[in-house]
Amino acid sequence: MTMTRRFAALTLLGSTFLACTCAMGGDPIITDSKILNEERRLAILETKLASLQREAALIEDHRAIERLQQAYGYYVSEGKAAQAAALFSDSPAASIEYAQQGVYLGRARIEAFLKASGARLRPGEIRETPFMQSVIHVAADGRTAKARWRSLVMGGMHGEDGRWTEGPYENEYIKENGLWKIARLHWYTTVDASYDKGWHRQPYPAAGPVAELPPDLPPSIVYKPYPNFFLPPYHYANPVTGMPVAWDDNQAGGVR
Amino acid sequence: MNRLAIVCLMAVTGIASAQAPTAAQRPPADLTPRLNRAADHIASINAQADRVADYDTLRNLQEIYGFYFDKALWDQVVDLFAEDATLEVAQQGQYVGKASIRKYFYGLTGGKQGLSYGQLNNQYQLSPLITLGADGQSAHARWRALIQDGQFKQSANWGSGIYENEYVKQDGVWKISRLHLFIHFYAPYEGGWTRTTPALNARYGKSAAKPDRPASVKYETWPASYTAPLHFESPALAGYRLAPENTASAPPPAAGATRTVTDLEAQVRALELKLERLRSASDVENLESTYGYYADKSMQDAISALFAQNSTLEILGRGVFIGRDRVYEYMRRLGAPTNGTLFNHMQLQPVVTVSADGNTASIRARLVVMFGQLNSSAQLAEGTYENRFVKENGVWKYQSLAGFQTFYTDYEQGWGKHSSAMLSYFPGYPPDLPQSVKYSPYPEVFVPPFHYLNPVSGK
Repeated sequence: MTMTRRFAALTLLGSTFLACTCAMGGDPIITDSKILNEERRLAILETKLASLQREAALIEDHRAIERLQQAYGYYVSEGKAAQAAALFSDSPAASIEYAQQGVYLGRARIEAFLKASGARLRPGEIRETPFMQSVIHVAADGRTAKARWRSLVMGGMHGEDGRWTEGPYENEYIKENGLWKIARLHWYTTVDASYDKGWHRQPYPAAGPVAELPPDLPPSIVYKPYPNFFLPPYHYANPVTGMPVAWDDNQAGGVR
Repeated sequence: MNRLAIVCLMAVTGIASAQAPTAAQRPPADLTPRLNRAADHIASINAQADRVADYDTLRNLQEIYGFYFDKALWDQVVDLFAEDATLEVAQQGQYVGKASIRKYFYGLTGGKQGLSYGQLNNQYQLSPLITLGADGQSAHARWRALIQDGQFKQSANWGSGIYENEYVKQDGVWKISRLHLFIHFYAPYEGGWTRTTPALNARYGKSAAKPDRPASVKYETWPASYTAPLHFESPALAGYRLAPENTASAPPPAAGATRTVTDLEAQVRALELKLERLRSASDVENLESTYGYYADKSMQDAISALFAQNSTLEILGRGVFIGRDRVYEYMRRLGAPTNGTLFNHMQLQPVVTVSADGNTASIRARLVVMFGQLNSSAQLAEGTYENRFVKENGVWKYQSLAGFQTFYTDYEQGWGKHSSAMLSYFPGYPPDLPQSVKYSPYPEVFVPPFHYLNPVSGK
C-alpha cells in the first residue's frame, strides 16, 4: 500500500518534470543517460516538435487572415462585389452587417448586399476603404479566428461634398478546406460626416436598411454614431488583466 | 527554480531505478530512422517560420520606406532599392536603376535631402497584401498610400493611390525591386477629393529628374474608373497560404558525422525561439492597436493596465510620467468621452521589431487623431509613436510610450493654413520629468528618432 502510493507520487513528479522540460526552454539539457536515456530524450523532442508545428501554423494563420481581409478591402474599394463575396464562408450562417443596415445571411445574399450597397460604386463615386489597426486572435485549434479592424473611408460623388466615414469592424473567420474565409463581417459606424462642414458640424446618422433589398435580420445591435457616444464591443479581453472591457458609466469621471 | 529542479531530478531517478530491470533486458533500439524523421520535421517547421519571417520583413520594409519618405530622407529611401530596381509614380515615367531612382527623389525637393521649413510630405503606407513567390526569393505586394502634404501658408493636399510593388531577396536581404504607385486622386484640401480634376491629380510625384522610359501603363485618374492590376488574382499567386506545405527535408549530416539527440535538441531550442519571436511580433502589434482602441474611448483603467509597473509615458509636449499609476492619472486628465465628443486615436503603419532574445520589442507607428466637439470645433493631428515593450511573465506590456507631434490643425482651416503649437503640460498636473526631446512641430521640421537601422544598408 505504502509502496504503491509512493510510486504514484513519483510518477506524478516525473510528469511534472517532463512539463518543466517543455516549459523552460533555456535550462541545461540533462544528458546523463542514467537519468534520461537517448530514446527518452528523442521522445520528448518528438512531442515538442508536434507542438511547435501547431504553433507555426497558428503564427502563419495570423498573417493569412491579414491577407484575406486586405483582399476584401481592395475589392470593396474597387466596387467588385462578386469577388468580395467569394471571400466568405460556404456556410448559410455566413453574414455581413454594416452600420444599421441589418444582417444578410449566406454568400448569395452577401453578394446581393455588396452589389446594392457595401461595394456599390456608381459612376463618379469613390470609396477608398483601407483596413488598418488589426487585433487578430486565432483560436488555439486553428479553425476559427476573430479580428478587430479600423477603416477611415474617403468617399463621395464627384462634384458633390465628400464624406468621411470611420469605425471599427469586428469580424470572424473560419478555415474551410485549408483556406481562411470570412464567416462574419460586422462594421460599426463611429462617425459618418460631411467633408466640407466637418464631423463637428454635419455628422450623419448611421446608414439604414437598403429599401430595395430588405435584410434577413434586423441590426444585431442598435446604436447611434457620433455625436452619440457608443463603444462597439471588443471580441477580446484586456490582454494584460484578462478582464473583459466594456463601457461603464462609473468609469466616466474625468477629474474635472 | 533550483529546488524544483532537484525535486524533478529525484523523481526521475526514482522512476529510472524502478524501471531499471526492464530497460536492461531490452537491447538498445536503433534511433537513426527516428532521428532522421525528427531532423526533417525541424527543417519543415523552420521553412514555414522563415516564410512568415519573410512576410513580416517585407511588411516592415514598405512601412520603413514610408517613414523615411515622409521626411524626405532620400539616401535612406534609395538604400531600400535593389541595384537594378525600377520606380514609377503616377504617369511620371519609369526610373531605372538606383542612380536614376536617387535623382528622381532628390528631384522632388530641389536637389536637397530632408524637408524645408513649412513642408509636409506625409504618405501613409496602409493595408498590406503581401504575396511571397514560390521561389522564396521574390514577392509582390499591394499597399494603399494615403497622401497628406503641402507647404505651410501656401497649399495642402489629400491624395490616395495604390502601390503594386515587387521585392527581391539578395544575399538574404529583402529589397524593393519595383515600386509602382498608381494615383487615384491628388486634390487640394479646400474642396477635397470630390472636386479634383485630372489636371490636379497629375501634379503628384513630379520630379525635376527626367525619366528613363515612359510610363509602363496609361490610365486615367479618378473620377475615371481604373483598377490597378490586382497581383494576387494571378493564378500563380492565388490562395491565402503563405508558406508551402511542410515538405522541406533536412540536409544530410556531414560525411562521417552522425545525427545525435543533442544536436537536434539544440536545433529545437533555436526553432522555439524563432517561433516565439514571430508570435511576439503579432502580440505587440495587437497590443499597440488595442491601446489605440482604448484611447479612442478614454478608457484609463484599460489603458493603464497595459503598462508595466515602472513604465514611462510621454505624449507630445506634456512631459514624462513615470509608473502605471501616473499613466492612469494622465489618462484621466483627458476627460471622459461624452455625447458630442469625438476622440479617435488611430495607430497605423506599425514597424515591429522584436529583440534577439525575444524579451523586448519596439514599434514605430503613425498616430492619426480626429477630435471633435459638436457645433464647436474639430481638429486633425498626425504624429509618430516610438514605443517599447517588455515581456513580463509571458505577457507583453508597454515599457515606454513616446508620442511625437508632427502637426495638429484646426479642421476648418487645414494644415496649409493653421498649425497648433506643441501641446504643453497639463495645468496643475506637472510631469515627473520635463519633455525629453526638445523640438518644434510643423511647420518646423523634426524627425523623431528611429528605433531601427536601415534594414538594407544597416545605416
